Amino acid sequence: MSSPRFPIPQGTLDMLILQILALEPAHGYGIAQRLEQISKSVVQVNQGSLYPALHRLEQKEWLQSEWKQSETGREAKFYALTRTGRKQLAVEKDSWARLTGAVQLIFNEGSK
Amino acid sequence: MKQLLNWFRRRGLEGGLDRELQYHFDRRVADFVASGLTEPEARRQATLELGGPAQVREEVRDVWLTQWLRDFAYDLRFSLRSFQRSPSFTATALLSLALGIGATTAIYSLVDQVLLHALPVREPERLVLVDWKGDQVANGFGSYNLMSYPICMDLQQQDRVFEGVLCRAATTVNLSTGGDYKPAAAEIVSGSYFTVLGVGASLGRVLGNDDDRAFGADPVVVLAYDFWRTQLASDPNVVGRKVLVNQHPMTVAGVAAAEFRGIDVGEVPSLWIPASMSAKAIPGFGQLLDRRTRWMQVLGRLRPDMTLARAQTGLEPWFRAMRDEDTRRAGFPTITAERRQRYFASTLELTPAPQGHSSLRRRLSQPLWVLLAATAVLLGLACLNVAGLFLARGSARGREISTRLALGASRGRIGRQLLADSMLLALAGGALGAALAPLAIRGLIAFLPRDAAPNALEASIDWRLLSFAFLTSVAAGVLSGFAPALHAGRSSLMSSLRERGDSAFGGVRLRKAIVTLQIAFTLVLVIGAALFVRTLTELMAKGPGFATSSLISFGIDPRRSGYSQENTGRLIRRIHDEVRNSPSTVTSGVARFQLLTGGSWNNPMTILANGRIATDRDVNENSITPGFLATLGARIVAGRDFDERDSRPEGEARPEGQAGYRSAIVNESFVKRYLAGRNVLGTLICEGSGPDAKPNIEIVGVVSDFSYRGIREESEQVFYPMFEGRGSGGNFYVRVRGTSESAAQTIRSIIRGADPALPVGYFRTLDEQVNRALNTERMLAALSGSFGIVALLLSLVGLYGVMAFVVTKRTREIGIRLALGATRTSALWLVLRDALMMITAGTALALPSVWALGRLIEAQLFGVKPTDAITIAGASLTLAAVALGAALIPAYRASKVNPTDALRFE
Repeated sequence: MSSPRFPIPQGTLDMLILQILALEPAHGYGIAQRLEQISKSVVQVNQGSLYPALHRLEQKEWLQSEWKQSETGREAKFYALTRTGRKQLAVEKDSWARLTGAVQLIFNEGSK
Repeated sequence: MKQLLNWFRRRGLEGGLDRELQYHFDRRVADFVASGLTEPEARRQATLELGGPAQVREEVRDVWLTQWLRDFAYDLRFSLRSFQRSPSFTATALLSLALGIGATTAIYSLVDQVLLHALPVREPERLVLVDWKGDQVANGFGSYNLMSYPICMDLQQQDRVFEGVLCRAATTVNLSTGGDYKPAAAEIVSGSYFTVLGVGASLGRVLGNDDDRAFGADPVVVLAYDFWRTQLASDPNVVGRKVLVNQHPMTVAGVAAAEFRGIDVGEVPSLWIPASMSAKAIPGFGQLLDRRTRWMQVLGRLRPDMTLARAQTGLEPWFRAMRDEDTRRAGFPTITAERRQRYFASTLELTPAPQGHSSLRRRLSQPLWVLLAATAVLLGLACLNVAGLFLARGSARGREISTRLALGASRGRIGRQLLADSMLLALAGGALGAALAPLAIRGLIAFLPRDAAPNALEASIDWRLLSFAFLTSVAAGVLSGFAPALHAGRSSLMSSLRERGDSAFGGVRLRKAIVTLQIAFTLVLVIGAALFVRTLTELMAKGPGFATSSLISFGIDPRRSGYSQENTGRLIRRIHDEVRNSPSTVTSGVARFQLLTGGSWNNPMTILANGRIATDRDVNENSITPGFLATLGARIVAGRDFDERDSRPEGEARPEGQAGYRSAIVNESFVKRYLAGRNVLGTLICEGSGPDAKPNIEIVGVVSDFSYRGIREESEQVFYPMFEGRGSGGNFYVRVRGTSESAAQTIRSIIRGADPALPVGYFRTLDEQVNRALNTERMLAALSGSFGIVALLLSLVGLYGVMAFVVTKRTREIGIRLALGATRTSALWLVLRDALMMITAGTALALPSVWALGRLIEAQLFGVKPTDAITIAGASLTLAAVALGAALIPAYRASKVNPTDALRFE
């Protein structure tokens, strides 16, 4: 259980946020909880860096936000993916897959 | 842009962020508490996890703002360095923009000062000009929008509409503050003037209603601040002092507020005189309370809740009743039914007058807008030029940009960099332009006429002008950076990295489009310049209709120095006799009214020739001495000039109640319009067109036409002998021997000898007078001409640049063509064809706009139509020839391409 946790790779947080929001709109805390689940097992997410990332993505118009009532009854800022955000997610997933594929190929080559 | 917006709404953003973080924190704490931690421990844990709200906030703020600013600062530094590396490029671009922005700022400064600037008074936006549209059945003197003093008093009673009403008239008085008499501009005003405007005193008090009670009872004046400062050395004890206005002592009540310079930007008064003293300010004027004498402008201050439309309808009942009452008043002239109808059809028109009233504005508004439009075109041209230069540099920098793109810079980032380049350049150009603008403005103001009253125009830079220059610079920066930035964002990375010198033709297309536009803009300016220059030359060629060389003029007004009507005549005769007999004089004459000032004495007239003819428009009148026409060199076409027979001997009274003229001379235009084919000599005429007019003045001569009001005008004129009827004036015209300077000296000593206290109103040669009469035309011709030349230069540089670029790009192609047997001429033609196409396209773009813009300047032209084929063809051909000349150099280079070298280049 207590295997060492990796810092999340540069630029990956944005992709993860986009991925989480692709399922349904969520507020910052909700996203943090989902990240928490992932991070518990493998990577380490500084929750403080979550908000700059959210605002950056909103600035790029990949996310849009709206104040809505949350499950606890309080108003919370909900983020949702925009059309360009969805496109961006596809692009990033694709390049991620190609990168890991390539890395895998090299590993395979090396272990032959 | 978004980041910039964020800066303005950051308070809202901060609030949202705080709420957002608080929500996160509270949820986290709640979760920890639920999992069994104590509240303080849960808080500590949550804070630890979030990494401190202050830090998060800081980072988010970075996202909003600083990232962008950092980038921008970096861009600017980078631009600065790259400009340092290419000084000639930078200098050319900077100069183009400084020229464009400086010229636009200078003209805008005049537009602002003459046309737009509101008076420095309380709530100027509530001021309106009240104007009578239609026939007032009244005699007028003065400039425009004239009404009588009693009407102003009536309007003051309309307090449901107006908070207050003022009236004013500009005049010139002979003023002495202790020393010599000097002509000084004065404003004759109603007692309400300062109250209505809301202008106070900087010393003593301003005029109030108590100063304008009874005719002749209130000898007080208020001095203008500038006059007090310059002429009285800011004397703190000036209040209560006596000054002499046309030899009448008046007491200084105070000095007006420093920033207030009257309500006419073109005529700044030195002092204000209450209307009750008008008879002293205007010698011989006794019609203050006469409803049939219109001579003042009326301005009102609307009540706060009043709109213009409601005010106009609100005044209607009073206006109707007033006209009804007027016709029943004693002294209302007998008029024809038709004229009566016109009188009753009059309307009262209110127009917003936050800028006050000015005849300078009326005269200059069209020329100034025309010039502003021309400078805008010039600025556009400069921007295009810089855009072209940027593109040229962009292609030279292609490698650098491609490398940056390859290293991961976004296209937006590169585009922004280029935009930062042009923005920096434009702001620097703007600063340079704004620094040069005062010089240009001073030059422009020098074109404007200046009489006793100085104008209030200043060559200073205020914040309005600075913000105008700044906005113009930003616009210029965006305009000149847009195309290159767009181009950089579009060009393909692969192709430009691969580039060897024969691809990237996308850039060429854009640059050709820019040059085409430049040619179109230039043609518009060149045609405009040609039209204005032709207007000026036509007017100069036409001239005033008399020879101006060695002709000088000067004016005296003895009535303003306390002379009675009889004594004035005596003095003028005496001075004229001495001037005529002076050895430096060839011939001389005197006229009641000065020539070429824009004004005249005019009236409708009645002619008795086979029945009565009433003139269909006003005839310009003047009274003159024998010898006046000969002095000007005007020809007597028929009959005779005046001689001693026509003047009553000195001392003989003219018949009571009559104008008193017995003889008149008319000009050829008069004959052509009213007496063509008839026997002119002996025909009887008289002033006025009513049924009561009795033609009893005999025409004794016909004289050739010459200008009276201005050079443009062709008018009917009638001359009466001086010293006969009412009013003699002292406008002397002297044809001199030798230099005009030495003659002037002789004449001045003659005047001093006649009366040492008599000031000379003006003293100038007729050449000078003609120049003054043409100064608007001269300004238009000089400015549009220089704009045309600058435009030509700019578009030449642009065209040359593009063609040189094209030739460099196509060297290999041309080499191959030559190697395959193409002739040198065909290579030449290859390049010239391109240039010709751009010229043709530019001309095709320009001509429709010339046609459209021509209507706007039609009123400013003389002797040439805005669609004048010769002018347009001439301008187009000149432009085409010059542009082809510019293209010939690169074309020649193309024809000299050595095939072997060109191919080895690869």
